[in-house]
Amino acid sequence: MRQLRALWARLLGVLRVRHGGAEIGAELESYLQMHIDDNLRAGMAPEEARRQALISLGGLEQAKQAMHERSTLPWIENLKQDLKFAVRQIRRSPGFAVAAVTLLALGIGSVTTVFSLIDTILLKPLPYPEPSRLVIPWNVPPPGVDVGGFAYTPWSPVHFHAIEHETKAFQSIGAFEPGDFNLTEAGDPAMLQGALVSSGFFPALGVQPAVGRFFTQEEDTPGHEREVILSDGIWRSRFHADRSIVNRTIRLNGIPYTVVGVMPRGFSFPRASEMPGDFDFPPQTELWVPIALPAVTPRFTPSELAFIARLQPGVSLEQSQDFMKQYAATIDRLHPEMKGWSASQVLPLQRQVAGDREKPLLLILAAAGVVLLIVCFNVAGLLLTRSLGRQREFTLRAALGAGRERMLRQLLTENLMLAVAGGFFGMVVALAGISLVKDCGPANLPRLQETGPDLRIFAFASGVTLLTGLLFGLAPALGAARVNLVESLKDGGQKSGSGSSRPRLRRALVISQTALALVLVIAAGLLGRTFDRLLAADSGFRPAHLLTFEISLPTTSYPDRDRIARFYQRTLPLLRAVPGVESAAVGEDVPMGGATESGVAIIVGRQPLKDHRYPIVNYTVVSPEYFATLGTRFLSGRDFLDSDVLDAPPAAIINRSFARKYWPGQDPVGERLLIPSQKIPATIVGVVADVRHLSPREQPAPEMFEPYTQNVWPSLTLMHMVLRTRAGVDVLPGARAAIRSVDPAVPITHVATLAALTSDAVAQERFSMLLLGFIGSLALLLAAVGIYGVISYSVGQQTREIGIRMALGAPRRQVFGTIIRRSLSLALLGIGAGVIAALCVGRAFSSYLYGVTASDPLTFLAVAMVLAITALLAGYLPARRAASVDPMQALRSE
Amino acid sequence: MPDKTDVWQGTLALLVLKTLESMGPQHGYGIARRIEQTSGNRLALNYGTLYPMLLKLEQEGAIASEWGVSDNNRKAKFYRLTRAGRKQLERATQDWQQATAIVARFLSSEEA
Repeated sequence: MRQLRALWARLLGVLRVRHGGAEIGAELESYLQMHIDDNLRAGMAPEEARRQALISLGGLEQAKQAMHERSTLPWIENLKQDLKFAVRQIRRSPGFAVAAVTLLALGIGSVTTVFSLIDTILLKPLPYPEPSRLVIPWNVPPPGVDVGGFAYTPWSPVHFHAIEHETKAFQSIGAFEPGDFNLTEAGDPAMLQGALVSSGFFPALGVQPAVGRFFTQEEDTPGHEREVILSDGIWRSRFHADRSIVNRTIRLNGIPYTVVGVMPRGFSFPRASEMPGDFDFPPQTELWVPIALPAVTPRFTPSELAFIARLQPGVSLEQSQDFMKQYAATIDRLHPEMKGWSASQVLPLQRQVAGDREKPLLLILAAAGVVLLIVCFNVAGLLLTRSLGRQREFTLRAALGAGRERMLRQLLTENLMLAVAGGFFGMVVALAGISLVKDCGPANLPRLQETGPDLRIFAFASGVTLLTGLLFGLAPALGAARVNLVESLKDGGQKSGSGSSRPRLRRALVISQTALALVLVIAAGLLGRTFDRLLAADSGFRPAHLLTFEISLPTTSYPDRDRIARFYQRTLPLLRAVPGVESAAVGEDVPMGGATESGVAIIVGRQPLKDHRYPIVNYTVVSPEYFATLGTRFLSGRDFLDSDVLDAPPAAIINRSFARKYWPGQDPVGERLLIPSQKIPATIVGVVADVRHLSPREQPAPEMFEPYTQNVWPSLTLMHMVLRTRAGVDVLPGARAAIRSVDPAVPITHVATLAALTSDAVAQERFSMLLLGFIGSLALLLAAVGIYGVISYSVGQQTREIGIRMALGAPRRQVFGTIIRRSLSLALLGIGAGVIAALCVGRAFSSYLYGVTASDPLTFLAVAMVLAITALLAGYLPARRAASVDPMQALRSE
Repeated sequence: MPDKTDVWQGTLALLVLKTLESMGPQHGYGIARRIEQTSGNRLALNYGTLYPMLLKLEQEGAIASEWGVSDNNRKAKFYRLTRAGRKQLERATQDWQQATAIVARFLSSEEA
C-alpha cells in the first residue's frame, strides 16, 4: 500500500519535473544557509563558514540528482527523453519514416487479416455452450465399398432409434436432415431452407430459443410434427419481429404449422459450409420442424440424416468412439441385413466446422508471415542505411560519455516507435482487409460472418508488432551502438569506401528477400494456373448460356407422381416456346448445383460384389433433352424420349464412369439395372460423358439417370429447370410467365447461370489465389524496394568514385551498365536461391494444384523473368543517376 | 574525532520519524542536526542521504511538508508527522526493539 502510494507520487513527479526541480534547489539552499548561519554563530569568518558548510554537506549537484531520481521514476524519464528524441529523428527524415511505416503496416496488416480468419475458423470456440463437448458422429461406409467417393454416408432412422435414448456417452443426441419449405403467406411465396430435427437436436447444441420453446418429444412423433421454429432472420424479415408469432399458424408446403419458437440471432445450424460437401445442407438454415422419424423404416431410405451429440461431462472423444463401436456391434446383431453399415467416426464439432481448411489457411498464414519477414528485412535494410548516415552522431554521443546500453536503448526506442506506428496502421489495414474478406470471401468459408475486430485480433497484432520491432530493430541497433570511437573519429566524417560488414549484410538481406518473394510469387502463379485449369476443365457440360432455376411444387396440390409429371409435361413445351430459349429440360440436379442422391443399383444377371454388396451409384431423375440442353455428349445409345412413360419398358442412362467400371471395354447399352425399390429392371439405353457435381476437380463417380416420367422415387416436388438460351436474351420474364400460366402458386427460386455455379464451385480456389496473389505482389514490390534501396545507397556512397572514373574517361554507358549489372546479379542470386526453395516447398503444395505440377517449368520461368525485370526496373533509377553524375561536381562535393 | 558511522536506510526512516515525534515540525537541517546531536556526533548525515529519505517518507504519506520561516528568519520547508506516520513509527519501533532483543539474546547465548 505504502509502496503504491509512493509509486503514484513518483509518477506524478514525472509530470511536474520542472517545478519540482526548483523547489528542491530552494530547499537545499535553505539547508545550506542554516548551516552557514550556525557556523557564523560559532564564530567563523563568513568565507570560512560557507566553505566548511559545503565541505560537510558533500556535493550539491549529486544531492540534487539523488533527490530528482527519488522524486520521479528514472526509467520513465529516460523513456520520455528517448521518445522525444526519436520523434525529432523521425521528423528529420520523414521519407524514411513514411516508407518504413507503410511497409510495416502492409506486412502487419496482412498477417493480422489472415490470422483473424484462422482465429474464427480454427481457434475461436463455437458459439454454443461448452462447445468442446459437442461432437458429430458420422456413419462410415464399410471398408472397400465405394459410395461415390464420399467419406461419410447418411445414418438410417434405424440407427437413430437404436441410439436416441442412450445416455452412457451422450447427454443428448439429435438427428437432423435438410429440407425445403415453401412458405405461402406473409408476402410472396418463398422457398425457405430448413432442417428436420429430432427433439434432442436443440438440447444437444444447448441453445435456447429467444422466443417461445423447443419441440417436445411428443411433437417429434409421426402425426404430431406440425410445429415450426423460425430463425431470427426470417422472423424479422417475414414477420416484423412480432413476439406474438408464437402459437400462430403458418402454411409450409400448403400444410399448417404452429410456430412454437424463434431462435436467437446468428443461429442457423446446420450450414453447408460447416458440413461435409457430400451432404446437401443449405447455406443458412432458416427454420426447423420436427423430423418425426417413423418407428419402422425401410432399409436404405434416401436421406441426408446426420447426428449431433453432446458428450456427458467427463466423457472423452475416445470413449464416445468406443461406445459407438459397441453400439454398431449391437445393431449388426439386431439387423443382420445392415451388417457393416453402422461403423462411425466421431468428430468434434469444432473440427467438423473447420473442415479441411486448416492446411490451406496455415499455408496462407505462412505466406503472410514470409511477407512480414521480408518487410522486416527491408526495414532493417533501411535502418542500416540510415545508421551509416548517423555514424557521426553516434560517435559524438559515445565520446560525450553515453553508455553503450543507453544508446542501444535509445535506438530500440526509435525502432519500436516505428513498429508501433506500423502496428497502428497495420490494424487499420487489417480492419479493411477483414471487411473486404467478409464481403468478397467465398460463401463456403465457415463462420466468416463471425470474424471481426476483437481483443484477440488486437492482442495478436500488438504481439506481432512488438516482435517485428525487435526483429528489424535489434540488429541495426546492435551494430550502430558498437561504435569504434578511435576509428570513427579518425575518419573525421569522411565517407570513405563503404565500410565492410554492413553492406554485405544488406546484400544478404536483399538476396534472401528476393528469394522469398520468388517462392511466394511462384506459389501464387501455380495457384493461378490451377484456377485457370479448373475453369477450363471439362466438367461434362457447356456452361455458357445456360440458365437454371428451382421449381418447388406444393405437395398439397401435387400429392402424387402423376400430377407432378403432368405439370412438367405441360410446362416444358411452353418453356421451349419462350423466345430466346433454344432448349429446356428438367432434372433433379444440375451440374455444380450440389450433391446428388445415391443408392444401390443391382446389375441384372451379375453376381453381387464380394460380401453381397451391390454397387452404390449416384442417381438423378431427368427429362428428355436434359443432356442436349446441358451440352453433355452421348458416348453411345440414345436420349430419353417422350415415349418413355410409365407403361413403356423402363429406361436408364448411365455415365462413362459407370460403364467403365462395370463394363470395361464393352457397350453396356441393352444391359439391365434394378433399383431395389423398383419392381421392373430398367434397360440401359445410353451412355453419357461424366458430369461433375461439386467441383471441376472431383473424381467422377458412377451415376445413373432415369426419366421423370417413369420414376417411382417418392418426391419430385423440387426440381431444377435448365434452359439453353441464345446469347444476350433475357428469357427469365418469359419463363416466369410460362410457369405462371400453368400454376401461379409455384415459386421460382435460386435463379442462376451455370457459369455462375461453376464459378462458385471454385470460389475457395479463387479466394486462395487472390489472397496469395496479393501477398505475392506485395512480396514482389518489397523485393523491388529492397534492391532499389541497396543499389541506390551504393551509388550514393560511390558518387566520388564514379566521378573519378568518369573523369578518367569511363563512358556513361559503362557506368550505367555496371550499376544495372550489380542490381541484376543481386536478383539472379535471389532467384537461384528462390528456385531451390520453391522446389523444396512445392511438395507441400502439390495437393492444392490441379492440372499443373508443383515444379511447372513455365510458371518458374515466367516468375523468374518477372523478378529479373523487376530488378532491372529497381536498378534503372539509381543507374541513371550514376550515369548522370557530373565528374566535376562529384569530385568537388566532399 | 571518532569515525562517523553512516546510517543505513532502514534505521534512518525510524530516526527521522522519531525525531519529528519528539521535536514536532522541523526542517531538514534541524532534523539532521538533532540526529547528529542525539548520536553524540557519531552519526554523519548529509543531504544526499537525508533528503531522498524525507521525499520517500512524504511520498509514502508518513510525513507532510510545508514552507515556513525558521527561528532565525530563514525560509525553510518544515516536515511534520502525519497520523499514518505515527502508526508507522509505532510499528517500526516495535519491530526494531524486537529485532534488537533477538539479536541481543543471540549474542548473550553465544557468550554463555
